[in-house]
Amino acid sequence: MARVETKRGGGDTGLPDLALRGMTLGYLGWMVVLPIVALGYQALAAGPQAFLDAVLDPQAIHALKLTVVTALVMVVINVVMGTATAWVLVRYEFPGKRVMNALIDLPFAVPTVVTGLMLVLLYGPSSVLGTILGQYGFSVIYAQPGIVLALLFVSYPFAIRSVQPVLLELDRAEEEAAATMGASGWLTFWRVTLPTLVPAIITGAGLSFGRALGEFGSVILVAGNQPMKTKTTPLYVFGEIESGNKQGAMAVSLVLLALSLGVLIFLNLYQRRWSPEDGH
Amino acid sequence: MKTRVQILGFVTAMAISGLVAGCGSSSGPVASSGDVIKLGAYSVVREAFHDALIPAFQQHWKQKTGREVSFEESYNASGAQARAIASGFDADVAILSHSGDMNQLVQANRVAKDWDQNATHGIVTHSVVVIGHRDGNPKGIKDWSDLAKPGVGVLYPDPKTSGGARWNINAIYGSALLASKAASGGSPDLAAVGDLLKRVQANVVNMDASGRQSMASFSERGIGDAVVTYENEILLRKKEAKPIEYVVPEATLLIESPAAVVDSSVEKHKNREVATAFLAFLTSSEGQKLLADYGFRPVDPASPALAEFPKPAKLFTMADLGGWDEVQTAVYGPKGLWTSIFSDQGK
Repeated sequence: MARVETKRGGGDTGLPDLALRGMTLGYLGWMVVLPIVALGYQALAAGPQAFLDAVLDPQAIHALKLTVVTALVMVVINVVMGTATAWVLVRYEFPGKRVMNALIDLPFAVPTVVTGLMLVLLYGPSSVLGTILGQYGFSVIYAQPGIVLALLFVSYPFAIRSVQPVLLELDRAEEEAAATMGASGWLTFWRVTLPTLVPAIITGAGLSFGRALGEFGSVILVAGNQPMKTKTTPLYVFGEIESGNKQGAMAVSLVLLALSLGVLIFLNLYQRRWSPEDGH
Repeated sequence: MKTRVQILGFVTAMAISGLVAGCGSSSGPVASSGDVIKLGAYSVVREAFHDALIPAFQQHWKQKTGREVSFEESYNASGAQARAIASGFDADVAILSHSGDMNQLVQANRVAKDWDQNATHGIVTHSVVVIGHRDGNPKGIKDWSDLAKPGVGVLYPDPKTSGGARWNINAIYGSALLASKAASGGSPDLAAVGDLLKRVQANVVNMDASGRQSMASFSERGIGDAVVTYENEILLRKKEAKPIEYVVPEATLLIESPAAVVDSSVEKHKNREVATAFLAFLTSSEGQKLLADYGFRPVDPASPALAEFPKPAKLFTMADLGGWDEVQTAVYGPKGLWTSIFSDQGK
């Protein structure tokens, strides 16, 4: 993942340049930073005790755990399948490859609530698939596997689109060298190719994880929304807002926000370390 | 590649938020002259108001005053609607699921304290809490306790978001509470009441955000064996030729849904006269007849239309349970019976 570097040129101190920079900074502050500050301020306004009480509510803790665990399960599947998909797209030629490549971005264009509906129709207890799975004692919809499925759908492109460009630009000389030295295909992949892909895989994992933490639209339809069972943090926050518990909603939102922010900061630092341009 | 993906994601996000905003409030054509009423209602009454009561009142108003009246209608979950009005949505008439939500508007100084001082105590529709079941009642569901039997999949919405769910859970709570009180001749066995709530909750398959969605899960998506709901929701399905069989439990709760004029809004819009007239029309014999067509029980106990509805053996009201405030604390408060189902699981 190439980082965007600042292009230093002449004439960047003129009035129009300063105005443009001021405007974009102000825009960022107004659109992104201000709402976050407002939430943080309000959530902590009632004092640390009220904040802690809200966060340590057993239902809130369960919701946070469930959110993180389902997101992690999704990330593991997504990373393995996403890397494999990127590999196939880059290394093989086959009919339908262009269509496949185009389909991969489709989950971004589908409203998340439609995603939820599609999953209920496909796996719901009264669907053909749901009935068969039910006979073997598996429930998908209104249970935790449904949450993972929804998260997989909405974050499907992240891992693929992170790994694919790196694979495309990969210098294959090293792989060929390994092969001539007698390494098997699998050993070459494991020892030579994979290490160069790791930064891209971590980025894909981080992006999908961050996306999954806040997922609401699809999860509310498939999860079942039951406290201590299938209520993820965004659903919990929604319920608390709707039932008038503003403090609980704000405090838990702030924790969720901190988690997402943590992931983003980690990714940023990580990319900086791995970026060849400025990795000292 | 990353930028392209991110832009696509951003555009999608914008499109989705646009979509949501577009669905937020429905507004009819606004006449440039004549009276306008902004209606802030809960979602269950949509069909009855949009298709019947509003057209009938428009005719009635024209005959009476010669003036046209147009409506701007907004329908939302009762709690969400109450919060919207409390925080500034300038609806002239508020129609909500229960008085607990109306009290929010009184506290926010939107509705006068004496809103319930009229012939019907501020209530415009009655209904009862019932159990819808599959055709032929294969699971033999007759009463609340049947919902706690193993292997019965139950649906009711989330009481955090749905006023309907509060009516449903209050009905189960109330019937058990009153039965326990009657058995002991005084103080109820709260542990037994809590146990019934807990066993029913354990059978709940999915908690939708609203009562309407819960009905859709039951009938359109074929989920669950039983759905706890308003009687009028089931009767509306019958009217739409999608009937659902149902039972009225032996002891059930009378659903009393209120309406009131929002003072701050009618003062701003200078339309108190027409808003008050509309409110009065709802409880007039014509208004009540139209509501009965859509499955709502008349509020007047002497109404002949009441004969068309099955009569529960024991019908109790929120007042019998101590009123909204007391039940909110006893059931949904931090130490409430329903809340403790889950806090016990955390231990």
